[in-house]
Amino acid sequence: MKLGLVVDLDTCVGCHACAVACKEWNGESAMAGGSPDRDPYGAVPSGVWFNRVRHFEVLSDAPRDAASGHLNLSKTVNVPLSCMHCEDADCVTVCPTGASYKRAEDGIVLIDPERCMGCNYCAWACPYGARELDPSSGTMRKCTLCVDRIYDAALPAEERQPACVLACPAHARHFGDFDDPASAVSTLSRERGGGALMPALGYRPVNRYLPPRAPAQVDVSRLPAAPTLRERLASLVNRVVSL
Amino acid sequence: MRPALSVVFFTVSAGAGLGLAVWLVLARALGAAGDDATFWRTAACAFVLVSAGFASSTLHLANRRNAWRALACWRTSWLSREGVAAIGFYAASGAYLAAAALRADAALALAGALVVAFAAGTFVSTAMIYACLKTIPQWRTWHTRVAFPLLGLAAGLVAWIAVRGPAAPQGLAAGSGVDLWRELAVALLAAGGALKLAYWAKFPGPDAAPSPNDALGLRDGTIRLLDAGHSHGTFLTDEFCFRVARERARTLRAAALVAGFVAPMALLELATGAWSGAAAAVLCVAGLFVERWLFFAEARHVVRLYHGIRD
Repeated sequence: MKLGLVVDLDTCVGCHACAVACKEWNGESAMAGGSPDRDPYGAVPSGVWFNRVRHFEVLSDAPRDAASGHLNLSKTVNVPLSCMHCEDADCVTVCPTGASYKRAEDGIVLIDPERCMGCNYCAWACPYGARELDPSSGTMRKCTLCVDRIYDAALPAEERQPACVLACPAHARHFGDFDDPASAVSTLSRERGGGALMPALGYRPVNRYLPPRAPAQVDVSRLPAAPTLRERLASLVNRVVSL
Repeated sequence: MRPALSVVFFTVSAGAGLGLAVWLVLARALGAAGDDATFWRTAACAFVLVSAGFASSTLHLANRRNAWRALACWRTSWLSREGVAAIGFYAASGAYLAAAALRADAALALAGALVVAFAAGTFVSTAMIYACLKTIPQWRTWHTRVAFPLLGLAAGLVAWIAVRGPAAPQGLAAGSGVDLWRELAVALLAAGGALKLAYWAKFPGPDAAPSPNDALGLRDGTIRLLDAGHSHGTFLTDEFCFRVARERARTLRAAALVAGFVAPMALLELATGAWSGAAAAVLCVAGLFVERWLFFAEARHVVRLYHGIRD
């Protein structure tokens, strides 16, 4: 199995519900080691997050569409980032203690806090900012793909998904097995042209990001011309009638 | 990258100490290590430099209790290999010093070769810790691979001249009136200075890293960060978003070049007093501190793209 997430950059509204749900589930999780905060209600709050949502503006390269003459509007793209559970995960191979490991059975990348010495080297090797040090224990933290939910037979089958996926109100997050070409995530990624982030670095990230859809274009050449006298009269009558 | 002083001190101090050990072994093999007192004084200096360096490196660890586990993954991790090589260096050095104390010449040659080999292994591992990271284009260069061994050997040789004192030339250069060690130190410093100049002249800029479009997986459009999603600093901004002002970097580069390379070269070449070697060593190490601080401070991790920082 090759478990991972599909994130839909078209429908993500940037509400941070996934990040909050992640905090809620993993805050005390034994598998994740917890995601503690530092001074959460103080003047300078900080803390460990396995999933962070950032907001970008994408300005179109061509200010006007050449064919239609319409303005190409800029777009806000919300980008949630968590561990990509890379197939060539350098964070695992650079770890000197063996605390970081990638599971053979499902590809999930995990940290054993009992072995971690807090050298930060794995975080240096991660291009996605998916690893954050917990200063209170001195050990590294990261997304576990909610490994303590997805196999929990005590949960109803539909709830055996990462907390972020269940929380998303826009259905912008999907969880599944990318090894199965017929799985929902494989199909969705294929149909929507899902891609990896920074694939040129060679980490072979598993998570796929669906690009924003092209905005609907209005063809100005097919817009109705100026109203005729008859149409203007009809419009006047309509307005009088609806007074 | 945040220039953690513990790591800056570690790489400079341990590098100089390893270099000093290598030169001591070579000098003794060539019969130029001076009298016994000089030999042991130099060995003690190398031991202090290397040990202070490795002690400082553990200050970088947030969970030192697990530091002993760092040798586990030598098959994949350069950090682990560095630890293995360092322990090998200590073992070989112990055997070398024992052989020197017992005047066992055959064992001395063998142990000396091992000291040099493990020092080389430590140099290469330290360099590769940084050079292997695909996330930091400024480190993934030939410069990193050359700089750690070269600057360590240069600083070690300057330290050797300082500790040895202005002794009469021995061994190879005996009778010629030329102190080959000084000439070699000047040559290494010149090579080190040239290496830094070449690196800074062709410093990998934003084009060496993925673009903001690569970071978001979007082919078209110009991308600008609206909101990083956090109200205050995070682990990521603390660790990776350190920025050094261009003007300040220029000043520090000049300071590193003058203190670390030019001034020690001038002292070794022109001054003859007993103090010149010590002054050269102090200046060289001080310059290398600045050089190493910049090595970290000027490195740009690609995660900065997600924080709206490109340069």
